Amino acid sequence: MMPRAKLKAQKRDAAQARLAALSLPQGGGWVTRARTAARARLLDMGLPVKRDEYWRYTDPRDLTSDQFAAAKVLKITDEEPAFSAVDRVKLVFVDGVFDALASDDPALAGVEISLLLDVANTDLHWAQDIYGKLEARGQLPVERPLAAFNTAFAQQGVLIRATAKAAKPVALVYLRSHEHADAIMHHIVRVEQGAELTLLENGPVAARFNQVIEAEIGAGGTLHHVRTQGRDHDRAGSAHLFAQLGQGAQLKSFTLTANGRLVRNEAMIWLDGQGGSAHIAGATVGDGAFHHDDTVFVTHGAQGGESRQVFKKVLRNGAVGVFQGKILVEQAAQQTDGYQISQALLLDENAQFLAKPELEIYADDVKCSHGSTSGEIDPAQLFYLRARGVPEAKAKMLLVLAFLAEALDEIADPDLAEDLRGRMESWLQRHS
Amino acid sequence: MLEINNLHAELEDDSEVKILKGLSLTINPGEVHAIMGPNGSGKSTLSYVLSGRDGYEVTQGGATLEGADLLEMEPEERAAAGLFLAFQYPVEIPGVGNMTFLRTAVNAQRKARGEEELSAGEFLKIIRAKAKELQIDADMLKRPVNVGFSGGEKKRNEILQMAMLEPKMCILDETDSGLDVDAMKLVSDGVNALRDAGRSFLVITHYQRLLNHIKPDFVHIMSEGRIIKSGGPELALEVEENGYADLMAEAS
Amino acid sequence: MVALDETQLREGVDRETVETVQSMAGTYKHGWETDIEMEFAPKGLNEDIVRLISEKNKEPEWLLEWRLEAYRRWLTMESPDWAMLKIPEIDYQEQYYYAKPKSMVEKPKSLDDVDPKLLETYAKLGIPLKEQMILAGVEGADEGRKVAVDAVFDSVSLGTTFKDELKKAGVIFCSISEAVQDHPDLVKKYLGSVVPQNDNYFAALNSAVFSDGSFVYIPAGVKCPMELSTYFRINAENTGQFERTLIVAEKGASVSYLEGCTAPKRDTTQLHAAVVEIVILEDADVKYSTVQNWFPGDENGKGGIYNFVTKRADCREDRAKVMWTQVETGSAITWKYPSCILRGDDTQGEFYSIAIANNWQQADTGTKMVHLGKNSRSRIVSKGISAGHAQNTYRGLVSMHPKATNSRNYTQCDSLLIGDKCGAHTVPYIEVRNASSRVEHEATTSKVDDDQLFYCRQRGMDEEEAVALVVNGFCKEVLQELPMEFAMEAQALVAISLEGSVG
Repeated sequence: MMPRAKLKAQKRDAAQARLAALSLPQGGGWVTRARTAARARLLDMGLPVKRDEYWRYTDPRDLTSDQFAAAKVLKITDEEPAFSAVDRVKLVFVDGVFDALASDDPALAGVEISLLLDVANTDLHWAQDIYGKLEARGQLPVERPLAAFNTAFAQQGVLIRATAKAAKPVALVYLRSHEHADAIMHHIVRVEQGAELTLLENGPVAARFNQVIEAEIGAGGTLHHVRTQGRDHDRAGSAHLFAQLGQGAQLKSFTLTANGRLVRNEAMIWLDGQGGSAHIAGATVGDGAFHHDDTVFVTHGAQGGESRQVFKKVLRNGAVGVFQGKILVEQAAQQTDGYQISQALLLDENAQFLAKPELEIYADDVKCSHGSTSGEIDPAQLFYLRARGVPEAKAKMLLVLAFLAEALDEIADPDLAEDLRGRMESWLQRHS
Repeated sequence: MLEINNLHAELEDDSEVKILKGLSLTINPGEVHAIMGPNGSGKSTLSYVLSGRDGYEVTQGGATLEGADLLEMEPEERAAAGLFLAFQYPVEIPGVGNMTFLRTAVNAQRKARGEEELSAGEFLKIIRAKAKELQIDADMLKRPVNVGFSGGEKKRNEILQMAMLEPKMCILDETDSGLDVDAMKLVSDGVNALRDAGRSFLVITHYQRLLNHIKPDFVHIMSEGRIIKSGGPELALEVEENGYADLMAEAS
Repeated sequence: MVALDETQLREGVDRETVETVQSMAGTYKHGWETDIEMEFAPKGLNEDIVRLISEKNKEPEWLLEWRLEAYRRWLTMESPDWAMLKIPEIDYQEQYYYAKPKSMVEKPKSLDDVDPKLLETYAKLGIPLKEQMILAGVEGADEGRKVAVDAVFDSVSLGTTFKDELKKAGVIFCSISEAVQDHPDLVKKYLGSVVPQNDNYFAALNSAVFSDGSFVYIPAGVKCPMELSTYFRINAENTGQFERTLIVAEKGASVSYLEGCTAPKRDTTQLHAAVVEIVILEDADVKYSTVQNWFPGDENGKGGIYNFVTKRADCREDRAKVMWTQVETGSAITWKYPSCILRGDDTQGEFYSIAIANNWQQADTGTKMVHLGKNSRSRIVSKGISAGHAQNTYRGLVSMHPKATNSRNYTQCDSLLIGDKCGAHTVPYIEVRNASSRVEHEATTSKVDDDQLFYCRQRGMDEEEAVALVVNGFCKEVLQELPMEFAMEAQALVAISLEGSVG
């Protein structure tokens, strides 16, 4: 067998072996149909391996294996959990399992909220059109087997439908209690025409996690998504965001990642309607055994869309930051404005930044640009600050925060942005 | 020279936006005409329609240059026929040297008219002389077209191009915008030097002050896509004194 | 006055361009073929063909073994599929791997003895092979510059000009088949030392069947007294060209090398898989310029050259420098990544590229900058132009190894689209494994600006002329890195390649 066919066979065999001991969750109706289809997709694709083009910088083994390492639960006493000050409707998951007692009454958010556990035989038409459908669409042009795995086996998750401006943000809070939990969660979100929703996520989730969000944003709808991925060090996990935007729809998604042995955040965004706008941003701070990967695809399918990808990574002491981003402009998407920036600040010699920032453009009347830089703190800037009397540590802190600012600017709510900025500052103080 | 007859034009993308609504104007050889008018009266559109820029649809009327139908021609054919537009906002073309640009243009026009092309040597001799008059130094000639030029430099460059191309009909679109007094004098001197019996000018301006330097034979007031009043140089002074409001009220 | 003289010189180039453009009313200019009797090896590829090629070149045993090893490795490899190219399946058994004009069977002693028909071919291409004619003077320059030429016709080198003069300077410039005979130690030492036999599918194929190519050796401390150039011509039908170029610059040496390529118009495709290896030792520098104008196929995408090329320079010792400049206008498919291994400390690699794809052409080209030494520097300037139904991809790697401290890279990739049926893509890989190195990558995609075109047309240029002018401006940063003679040819090519792309 020639090398490529051999690799494909190995990947399929690995998927076969991984699924052998797993059975699809009980249920029925449309959820089961979606799960069955996802399982078949996965078996056809096979499990990802490092030789796959989009896994060249991140080894997926710890995310695909049936074995996973225990992760110590971090007790945090020096700061409040993220978004504590926000007036929100909390839905709490412990080790990836919904905890009704710890959660607020979902009705308070002014949106429809159901649990994935409860919907098996219900007639949620809107959810049927989304669950597994966006994920399936997202398998092209690049396979995302972890997401198919998730669709097939997730039992936990929420289904949120906003038909108007939500009264309060919906906050998904992910707590941990066990060193061994392996969490699979799948949320779906539908923002109807002209509606608006803020979705918050925070917490370290589980020792290992696999999360998927599928979001559909109708014409003129807005989804704000702000996520912090906790501070626990040993955990490993992947998160996928699939979002499909109608005419004039808006999406702003921001992720703060601090610590974590291995985190892969993927986003797959389609601007299907004219004049849609998607901003995907992330700030990452990592120290030591830390491998963080942002893989972001934005597809412009219609005229006059606008997108921004802004990713900033501060890395030290062997930490590895990965960015793989693409702006794809289809032939129909004239007058697209696409921008992408990925930058790393390496605080010492051992840190690494690996990036593949791509443009793929089939329309001529477009404005697309990307930039990517890597380097250390600019010694001239540092000296300038010190010459003006700022102590070295303080000066460095200022420069690092300045570096991160462009990503934080992508958060619409200034209070949230300020909260996250403060968290990064504390992190930098702890890790200086 | 230039004959504009009942010209109607609207935006190509939006036929609701009608900009020229029946404009007529005759310019004889050697005459200098000025068109004045408030912002949005259609002055710049007139210059674009005459020179053939995309984006406008002529729905009625016409324009001829020495009897030839201008509107049927491609922009470069109009240029070769002798029409020159000094742009309000001269376009920057990175990487293309000013000299290269001009020589390509000069020779393209000469070729279109069946004339011998200029050799590099001849061209250089002519441009050096003309550049000197406009105080354009060698460095400016070597730099890419309009890139990094100040407002005054861009306008001087337009006049230099005019001098090199020796057109018959020159349209100056708000050539005074963004110029200080000294620059305006320099540019005007350049234009005046080109005035002769065979060459006509259409000076489009918002303010009277340019007309102190480039003395027009006729002044036209334009409003809402039409000429609402014509007269001699005194009309410009009247506008300077009283503004456009009275004239517009009078016309409506 | 200095400034004005400079202007005149530049103007000289530009005037030349305009005139050349005007004189070339047709499209592909080099599409004719030379009618000449050829000796072919049997069609197809197997160990016997490899042996036959080796035998024809009277090669030593080690080289035959080397070829066979490459061939065996090739059998286990697959054609790469990662480029953004749709490559039709190639039947390697339907190709000829060796084609030689009959008159060359007994190698002529000098160029004067070469079949006049062959010499004519090169004269028609504007490549003079008679030494007295080779004064490629540029108007305005003080004196003409000499360029030594190695002319490669299908599988063989016809001969090399200015050999004696070069010999006086200690420079070896000959075909690689001659070098195998006359300088076996040098060839053995360096062949495959930059691009190993099994480096990739096409390099393995080349290693097995390469028939000729150029060999350059610049001894220590020598600045090569003239520019060296190889001119490749594919003439025979269904014949692959597999040339191998090896350039060695010893300590403190310096050379500028030019490469040009053309092929006849045919409606069947032809294969070209070349390997270029450059070894650069301490303080030496090599400048390698290519104007690639293989037949690109017709306006319906029929025919054309498949151009699969591996080019790599190894800056093996401290302060070695390499500069690649390429103007890629031809070929139906281009797969090519001239690379720099910056092994020594304070080494320097530069890559300047213009890639134009029109009609149904596909280009996937770029570079690799592998920083291994401290304080190494690299710079990439890539200008991609897509028109018609073409797809044009920049693909590049910048890698900073942990030990390559205090290194720098700057990359600028700009794409220009003409029309809405083509594509422009950018696929950079950036791998930074130390903090003191600084990497900057910028890329933009835009279309030819309507305002610029209108401005040019208002001044009297027609649309194609206006596009050519604006595109030449877009490419200026790269064009100015080319040697003067090549810059003229390249500017003209830009205009010609874009013919039919507007309107």
